[in-house]
Amino acid sequence: MTTPITSPSTPPAAAITMIDQTELSRPLTFRERHASQIRQWRLYAHMFRKSFSSMLGLTLVVLFLLLAAFGPLLAPYPEAASGAIDMSNKLMPPTGANWFGTDEMGADIFSRVIMGARTSLWIGLIITGIGALVGVPLGIIAGYGGGWLRAIIMRITELFLAVPGLALALAIVAALGPGITNCVLALALVWWPGYVRLVEAKTLSVKEELFVESARSIGARTPWILWHHILPNCLSPIIVKMSMDMGMAILSAASLGFIGLGAQPPAPEWGAMISVARTYMPDWWWYSLFPGAAIFLTVLGFNLLGDGLRDILDPRSRDR
Amino acid sequence: MLTFAFRKLLTLVGTMIGIAALTFLITNVAPGDPARLVAGPNATEDMVATIRTEYGLDKSLPEQFIVYMGDLMRGDLGQSIVTTRPVMEEVLRYAPATLELVFVAMALGIVVGVPLGMLSAVYKDGPLDHVTRIFSISGVALPAFWFGIILQLMFAVDLGWLPVSGRLPLVTRPPETVTGLLLVDSLISGRFQTFWTSLQHIILPAVVLSFPCLASILRVNRAEMIEVLQSDYIVAARAHGIASFRIVALYALKNAMLPTLAMIGLRFGWMLGSTVLVETVFDWPGIGLYAVSSALSSDFKPVIGVTLMIGFFFIVANTLVDLAYAWIDPRLRSA
Amino acid sequence: MFGKIIRNIAIAGLLASSVLASPAAAFERTDKGNVIVFGGRQAIPVLDPHVRYDWSTRMIQQAVYDALLKYEGDPAELKPWLAEKWETSADGKTWTFHLAKTAKFHNGDPVTAEAVRYSFERGLKLNKGVAWMLKDFLAPEGISVVDDYTVKFDLKAPYAPFLSFLPWWYIVNPAEVKAHEVDGDYGQKWLTDHAAGSGPFKLGRWEPNVLYEVESVQNYWKGWPQGDKNRPAGVIFKIIREPAAQKAALQRGEADIVEGLTPDDYVQIKRVPGVVIEDHKGMTTFGIKFNTQKGPTADINLRKAIAYALDYDALIQVYNGAATLETSPLPDAMKGHVAVPGMPRKDLAKAKEYLAKSGYAKGGITLPYVHVAGLEEARRIGLVLLDSLKPLNINVEIKPEQWPNMVANGSKVETSPAMTSVYTTPVSTDPDAVAYQYHKASWGQYYAMMFYDNPKVSEMIDKARGSTNWDERAKLYADIQTQIVADQPEVFGMLQNRRWARRDYLQGFKFSPVRFTGEVDLYPLWVKAE
Repeated sequence: MTTPITSPSTPPAAAITMIDQTELSRPLTFRERHASQIRQWRLYAHMFRKSFSSMLGLTLVVLFLLLAAFGPLLAPYPEAASGAIDMSNKLMPPTGANWFGTDEMGADIFSRVIMGARTSLWIGLIITGIGALVGVPLGIIAGYGGGWLRAIIMRITELFLAVPGLALALAIVAALGPGITNCVLALALVWWPGYVRLVEAKTLSVKEELFVESARSIGARTPWILWHHILPNCLSPIIVKMSMDMGMAILSAASLGFIGLGAQPPAPEWGAMISVARTYMPDWWWYSLFPGAAIFLTVLGFNLLGDGLRDILDPRSRDR
Repeated sequence: MLTFAFRKLLTLVGTMIGIAALTFLITNVAPGDPARLVAGPNATEDMVATIRTEYGLDKSLPEQFIVYMGDLMRGDLGQSIVTTRPVMEEVLRYAPATLELVFVAMALGIVVGVPLGMLSAVYKDGPLDHVTRIFSISGVALPAFWFGIILQLMFAVDLGWLPVSGRLPLVTRPPETVTGLLLVDSLISGRFQTFWTSLQHIILPAVVLSFPCLASILRVNRAEMIEVLQSDYIVAARAHGIASFRIVALYALKNAMLPTLAMIGLRFGWMLGSTVLVETVFDWPGIGLYAVSSALSSDFKPVIGVTLMIGFFFIVANTLVDLAYAWIDPRLRSA
Repeated sequence: MFGKIIRNIAIAGLLASSVLASPAAAFERTDKGNVIVFGGRQAIPVLDPHVRYDWSTRMIQQAVYDALLKYEGDPAELKPWLAEKWETSADGKTWTFHLAKTAKFHNGDPVTAEAVRYSFERGLKLNKGVAWMLKDFLAPEGISVVDDYTVKFDLKAPYAPFLSFLPWWYIVNPAEVKAHEVDGDYGQKWLTDHAAGSGPFKLGRWEPNVLYEVESVQNYWKGWPQGDKNRPAGVIFKIIREPAAQKAALQRGEADIVEGLTPDDYVQIKRVPGVVIEDHKGMTTFGIKFNTQKGPTADINLRKAIAYALDYDALIQVYNGAATLETSPLPDAMKGHVAVPGMPRKDLAKAKEYLAKSGYAKGGITLPYVHVAGLEEARRIGLVLLDSLKPLNINVEIKPEQWPNMVANGSKVETSPAMTSVYTTPVSTDPDAVAYQYHKASWGQYYAMMFYDNPKVSEMIDKARGSTNWDERAKLYADIQTQIVADQPEVFGMLQNRRWARRDYLQGFKFSPVRFTGEVDLYPLWVKAE
């Protein structure tokens, strides 16, 4: 399927821009062309800034992204993440040299927690990315196309949604064998149906809107309608869901890591670290405390951010 | 109403078959060999083959699938290769522990979540509202396994108030099984000491399990309360001078309860999924622990069985919610 | 009005916290006497003595069943048990056992020659669990009842280690088993969670995945070593999966002995008053097996380079000192063990020398190191290996695998990884139990993942297992050990100590290296009254 558009970077504005250009003779500046949007985004930003919890979420997410981007530079002992050992220095409590203490092989936990941010970001991005890439098109097809195609897609989706994701992912990883790749694969496999359901419902409602009807009546082709009307209108809930899902995907991967089916040490993954650290309870408490706190703050950050975004972008769906 | 219920039931059966097929295929794509595991480390090739034949693992995958689905129709979930027992029997043995945990956690979630949601609706945008918002989002963000460990550390190891794990102390013989729920059985047999100890054992895991559920109950209840409080009849009631407490407690809460109940139904199945983690941390002998230990030893029939069981409860809970809605609002019956 | 609600919530909160504040019920001894509580990590899914035999299973099997012989002591010795005495024919093919006439099953039936015959037949016909030990040398028809208390075994060929396997073939009561037979299953379904034995204990509560209880038999035919007065009422084997929980249970006195603490826990708990550590040299060897047939590790010089690069001290540190380095492929406690001179120890110069001679003089390769998922120490040794091979510019990829997958991959040369960490516990004290792992006929088994092929060694092993003359065998085994070390099919690691932590009032603990890691002989245990 080829899409007839050339500038996919400005989806919501595209249709209006075309009309503007036919009416006015001189070319408009970017600011003028997007005046209404700029106003709207300013309002969004204002609302966002006003909310303490949203700002807290944003701060946590930015911090997490910074750690993921510059982890190797920030970590005092970056080699700790690739399995460097120092047996004479093992299981030391937090000190000035090792802020979060050391683990059973003498590796610096602070460094491993920092380096773990990148692992988690990677996990979150892939799972939500695959989930959205598979789920959104299927949802649009089901919602817009209807008929037997919709029936099939929705049946399969409901099947996946009928079992809690973690339980299903557990079954998949158990079959594939432990490891970070299999864990991500399993979670991605159970993640897409959520997007199908979300997008399908949204598409169904947008499909009946007047502007879609009229586009259809003037002979617009289906792909064009999908790209210019349906997708842009589904975008806000998708963004909100993806932000929330980043956190939940990281949490789920950590959960599988904890059970022993996810990432495997020495890979610096927080859940797997806790899985090992658990056997060092309670005397070496710092070992499980800090990776857990990292998971908590990261997931909290993404959830608060998603929650704040939802208030602004999709106020009607709040609390549903 | 009856036809609606019947249609729902049909969907339920269809979905169960679908899940069974799905999990069976998923767990059989990889070439794991559980027979090797149970045969023992020194087993010779023909000894492993003996076990494979016994469990029908030497048949082709489609054949195994047909056998499995056929058994399933008769309510047989196959046989665990590790314990050699029928999976159905084992799931039924472990299910009460899980259900007890989920019920208590659910009760905790409701008892704390509903009043908190109510209060934050009444004091919307106040400091309490902000605190509960962060609190409820934290509830979802907390890694259950880590939270469990931290609670164990604090209340069991450090303070010594509560037991670390398990359902009962070692030497306490469980009360005669009636329901399988220790809290109920101990009361039936009049053993209050046992009731008391099993209550102590269940507190920490139930708190951990209830947290995300509490959060969503709180949020739904809050949102519904806000909507109801702004509705015409409440405004009218206020205008007639009915005391605000009665408005909130009697009118608003009653009207906000249905969506809250729906959320409770949804969360029920979801909690069954989370028991996988909580039971692992607290050594709680339920179906979650059973699934994890089976998964770790590549024993797939129990994994499929537990997934089915969780799916079953999940769908039943959802169906009940649908039915409740349809019973109240007949327009929904055509859906 | 809201004040009231808030007040009620506060009261509810207070009530909840008062629940929290009351202490957990203290641990009590039962009315029948002292019950010893053993905290272990591993469940017992199937108790049937002819179907399974991991450590937890065998511990309870040993408690409820008797065998013809029993291993006791350190070094392990074969003691007469159900068999009072025995003879062997000159050709080593016929063994005759004379049974103790006092032995009785728990239901009162005498333990007869027919019971012995039936039990061995059952083990061989089921072809599970212990069957591999004897099936190549003994057919069910080879066992015959001479009289009520005499049983004869006719082997297909002389087999020196025959006697050393007998302690693991437990005798079941045929009458009880046959009564519970379903569809000719030899009573397998019933024996899964029931027992029909003659051992010092009989089964009590059986709560799968939670606890397993055995109750002591009042007039055990062999008597009680601690005296009938001190005999415990029973033993509870309680599943406690987490080391932290095991430690807490031991400290609180909820468990009297635990087996699964981490090496660091043992160091800590040693200081707790009232806790004693049992620390004994075991027979479980750890080796990093190379694939000697395929890939870079087919190159003996590379194998030698790795063996000389490994930081052996760190292996000991992983166990906090509770381990000794292997001095031969055979564990120290095994008959016929010799300390092989020139066993590789860390020597980087030598390692580089060998590397230079190999086809990978510059290193620059990545080798997988596979270990069983969940085995903490094996994983940590992987990290040590990774660190040790950095100077050789060899990278190590640590890969945990589920046991069945690891075995499946290791059964073929093509799929066997370059390095696999394997713990092996020999089931008997006979050197053949370890030596045979290096025989070409073992290819395909998990302990033969190195696919070692030295016809000379295979020949010597064959000769040694067929001989009944110990002096001749001892000399052969010495040569075998030296040759295997020279060929370096694996990195010979360490023998980890077997450790338990117990309360000091628990008496009668007797270690025997031939038992599995974690396994304890429950029979002589007793609680010394405070």
